[in-house]
Amino acid sequence: MISSFFSTNRPIDHQVIDLILYKTYADLRAEAAKTYINYLWWVIDPILSMLVFYLVFGLLFQRGGEGFVAFLLSGLVIWNWYRQSVAHAGGSILNGKGLMNQVHVPKLVFPTVTLLTDLTKFALVLVLLLVFLWISGYPVNASYLALPVLLVVQLLLIAGLAFCLAGLVPFVPDLRFLVDHLLHLQFFCSGIFYSVKDLPAQYQGWFYLNPMAGLIEDYRGVLLHGTWPHWGRLGLIALGSTVLLAVAISFVHGRDREYPRAIR
Amino acid sequence: MSFPSQEPLLSLEHVGLAFHQGGLALRPRPPFWVLKDISFDLYRGETLGVIGRNAAGKSTLLRVLAGIIRHDRGRFINRAQSISLLTLQTGFVPYLTGRQNAVLSGILLGLRRAEVEARMEAIIDFSELGAFIDQPLSAYSSGMRARLGFAVAYQVQPDILLIDETLGVGDAEFKEKSAQAMHERIRSDKTIVLVSHVPGTIRELCDRAVWIEEGVTRAVGDVDEVTQAYHEEVSRRQQRHEHAIRAL
Repeated sequence: MISSFFSTNRPIDHQVIDLILYKTYADLRAEAAKTYINYLWWVIDPILSMLVFYLVFGLLFQRGGEGFVAFLLSGLVIWNWYRQSVAHAGGSILNGKGLMNQVHVPKLVFPTVTLLTDLTKFALVLVLLLVFLWISGYPVNASYLALPVLLVVQLLLIAGLAFCLAGLVPFVPDLRFLVDHLLHLQFFCSGIFYSVKDLPAQYQGWFYLNPMAGLIEDYRGVLLHGTWPHWGRLGLIALGSTVLLAVAISFVHGRDREYPRAIR
Repeated sequence: MSFPSQEPLLSLEHVGLAFHQGGLALRPRPPFWVLKDISFDLYRGETLGVIGRNAAGKSTLLRVLAGIIRHDRGRFINRAQSISLLTLQTGFVPYLTGRQNAVLSGILLGLRRAEVEARMEAIIDFSELGAFIDQPLSAYSSGMRARLGFAVAYQVQPDILLIDETLGVGDAEFKEKSAQAMHERIRSDKTIVLVSHVPGTIRELCDRAVWIEEGVTRAVGDVDEVTQAYHEEVSRRQQRHEHAIRAL
């Protein structure tokens, strides 16, 4: 279904798939080639960012205690995938202005490519996280079966928001500034370095209006406690994300040839 | 050459396109019509010259034909499978090797990945890069980049090829080679739209011509007649300009 949106006449445009895959590969290679230690940055960068949080919340604020590192790491890894994907994809069509004025490129290609590059980097970090958890005494358990579901739902959520932003930002560039602040706010509302039980009881219901809060809690349930996700909540997030994604795709696709004129 | 009995590959009827000022403004500015009234047909196998002064709307017209932007009014009928603008070094990234850039650029210009890879030998040959093809693009001179850009673009053979002005391609020696290759392709039975502001180029290479002035088609048809009319208009304007200067 999605592939038909990319093409104007054929059901599946293999040429566009070639473009998406090779551009993803090329972007990853180019990004790595910009630095001395290349691909190592994809691992070191998240580790450094986790260290910062551990220093501040684990040591400085003494929030540590039993299992705090695993708790913090799992939340951060999941959150970083979300934040980076949404932030990168949001500007992707705008950043493609040089290219789209030379050749006709289906505009959905741009956010799709940034989603794939970020997904690749996240996959690497996720494997490291899992290895770390296994070593630290959080073994694989039956609820791991729900992990692919969680990942797919989160990917849907990310894609819905990313395509939406990517499609709107070229028309309203001001959105980019707003998005930075909203993501910042959402970060503090997602329970990354605290758990919902630390909140005053009257706010706990509001907490789950933020889909990332529910997702991160579900991930922790699977990875740290061996409990199953909250299926109803997960289903709602999946449904909402799918609707958002469909709206965003038809919005961008319908304006495919307006973007080169809007961005000059 | 004319093709009255044949159905045109492309038809433009009173095509217009405007640019709008974006952003919040107290008094919305009126749209600026870059193309106002463009009408002509393009037939299979011909080379159509588009002539006009700077800012006549030639580049915008090419972008409409290439499917990059859509016109706002009039009718644009396209019966061709593929149309593309000849662009050089499309999507080139300095951190990738020449080979990777060639593949990426080729895909962007409309080839399948396997097709570009199959033509890599021809690309390396034509660009005269040899073993340098596996060096990062950042190590290339501007002439080498230009050669690679041309070699890749030359592999793409759309139904209709759109060419803008003379191609700036690197060193003098290669310029001759690329111009020769281009001329060969233009003279072949490929369907081509060639945009220029030099009447000589159009007369030399085209079967028919269209003259565009301030977004309006002023004349369509025989190359000599159209370029002659264009030439007269340009010299008329020049005279008027000189008069104005003398009057000062």
